Amino acid sequence: MSKPVPLSRLDAKEFISPANSACQGCAGSMVARIVAKIIGKEMVRQEVACCGPAFGNIQQPVFYGEIFEGAGAMMTGFARAFKRADREDIRVVGIIGDGGTSDIGFQGLSAAAERNEDMLWICYDNEAYMNTGGQRSSATSKYASTTTTPVGELSRGKAEKKKPLPLIVALHDVPYTATASVAFPEDFIGKLAYAKPIRGFRFIQVSAPCPTGWRFDPRYSARIAKDMVESGLWPLYEVYDGTLKISYKPKELKPVKDVLHGQGRFRHLTDDEVDEVQGYVFRQWERLVEKDGAPLL
Amino acid sequence: MAKKFEVMVGNKAVAYAAKLARVKFVSAYPITPQTTIVQYLSDMCATGEMDAEYVTMEGELSCQASAITASTTVRSFTATSGPGLLYMHHPLHMTSWARLPLVMAVVHRSTKGMQPDQMDTMSQRDTGWLMLECQNSQELLDTGIMSFKIAEDPRVMLPTIFMGDGYILSYTSEPVEIPDQELVDEFLGPYRRPYPMFPEEAAESLKLMGAMWSNQHGPQHIWKMQQEAAMNAKIVIKEVNTEFQKKFGRSYGNGLVEEYKCENVDAVLVGMGTIASTAKTAIDRLQKEGKKVGLVAIKSFKPFPDEEFQRIAGYTKAMGVIDRNVSTGTKGGITFTEIRHALYDLDERPVTLNFHAGMRGQEVTVDGLKRMAEKTLKAARGEKVAPIVEWVGGN
Repeated sequence: MSKPVPLSRLDAKEFISPANSACQGCAGSMVARIVAKIIGKEMVRQEVACCGPAFGNIQQPVFYGEIFEGAGAMMTGFARAFKRADREDIRVVGIIGDGGTSDIGFQGLSAAAERNEDMLWICYDNEAYMNTGGQRSSATSKYASTTTTPVGELSRGKAEKKKPLPLIVALHDVPYTATASVAFPEDFIGKLAYAKPIRGFRFIQVSAPCPTGWRFDPRYSARIAKDMVESGLWPLYEVYDGTLKISYKPKELKPVKDVLHGQGRFRHLTDDEVDEVQGYVFRQWERLVEKDGAPLL
Repeated sequence: MAKKFEVMVGNKAVAYAAKLARVKFVSAYPITPQTTIVQYLSDMCATGEMDAEYVTMEGELSCQASAITASTTVRSFTATSGPGLLYMHHPLHMTSWARLPLVMAVVHRSTKGMQPDQMDTMSQRDTGWLMLECQNSQELLDTGIMSFKIAEDPRVMLPTIFMGDGYILSYTSEPVEIPDQELVDEFLGPYRRPYPMFPEEAAESLKLMGAMWSNQHGPQHIWKMQQEAAMNAKIVIKEVNTEFQKKFGRSYGNGLVEEYKCENVDAVLVGMGTIASTAKTAIDRLQKEGKKVGLVAIKSFKPFPDEEFQRIAGYTKAMGVIDRNVSTGTKGGITFTEIRHALYDLDERPVTLNFHAGMRGQEVTVDGLKRMAEKTLKAARGEKVAPIVEWVGGN
């Protein structure tokens, strides 16, 4: 299991350029910075259509594939070719959005996981197609108002729940699956450091709040990410050797109401709807706690 | 050196091409009638006869996408048919603009049903790939090897499809000479990594990617460069064909077109793939009857041999073009319109007729081809013929 790494122990060297064209408060760019710092000089990065090309200004070889659906396949090609070229020291890493992971890229993700390809797939999860203007994805949470699930007389935002992607990936029985959050960098770094030397398919889904799409003040990205973890909306856990382990257990789950109402996309929620979400979060958290330390498979 | 022959189906000949080219990455997915190519390759990898990463992907799109990244570093190969090729359409564009010398075999399968026609590759006409057609299994093996040399030539650097008809070639056995491995090694040489993807090459790599993505060249630059490369390929294909002849004793016309019994003719039939090989029998019989008609087989569809057709126009009064494809909404098949386009700049043009034939595996017989040739000869004599574009059989 991973251990949090104190920030003070990190090398000062950055592999990401300070300049990029991300929106203010972009948590995706925080993900990229941390990944670059930890995997940096041993990395070849795969990029597909997402906000990544805007913020992923990492000074290591990158292959920008215009093939939105192709992350799993393209990383497979790299991993296998590097093996043939006797360069298995190179880490194949993808920093891929939630659409490219759980929607259009899902077939390739599942297939690469099933083949246990040697890659580290980091999904920065901003819960919608943010680079195209905030359209609903399967990673969007219920009731979120997006540009394709607007709130109106006949609509309360997204009608369906968020796809439980990390668990789906873990059920492929891959060497390592984890969730992380930009508000818990020490936990995230620990997980990256743990995943880095493992051979085979590794997957980390990182909660990355998007001020532009979620409609909140850019200065609060980390705070909202933190509140999502504290409230149980985004639990931190990892699955290794088929065993699930919760990484962080808040003493008491923070009520979801303030977390939701702090974001423009949920501001329309009625008390009943907030209660429904709260009930769902409690149930999910209980189930997770039941599985804590137990085999998932 | 003793020559090595084996009776094999077309798909095995294709697998031999990949093996002899010492391909290091194979992405595979089953689809009839291509399937046995990847089966033969999996056998070769399982027995150690071939030393490559063999990956069964979850679909053809992923076959193409994985071969794209693999070919940045090692010689790569994939194969498909009909709907599988259509499913690959999106990444095909990327392979060519990224200028990766990936080689792919396409066993023609119609877009409807499993029998062959050229609708699969014709639907990829403008993806920037070179496309070389084959008439028999030996030609598949030889063209496969030549494809790597053409694609990897620094003047070209474009992905290349070599293709042949499903069933008629894929599952039909005939004797094929297997080239000597050492000679193939000499002929192709080692793969030159086209991309600096290793971490220690970061500066070079970022510069390259930066150039690909910056606007320093203007938005149309990619296609302009591809076009230049494809035009260079006309020279390179001829050179490679000649070099292949010197090394292995076989060649295919001049690499771009094969002119069969075209001396002293009044008319020519023009065809591609197995239709052209059947047409040779028709031409033999007609010439025996004293009819002055020859055959032009299109070997290279992309780049299209405009100059060759302009030259051929100098010795023939009529061309009867057979198209195993249709471009709905345009009068005439695709090679017919390409040829007419090539001839437009000439002061004196031969009469051109078109025959849609062989769609979805519709049989194209020697007698049917004789009748097409007779019609073309009639036009060559200056007689009025109609219609200009005709559907032959199975309508």
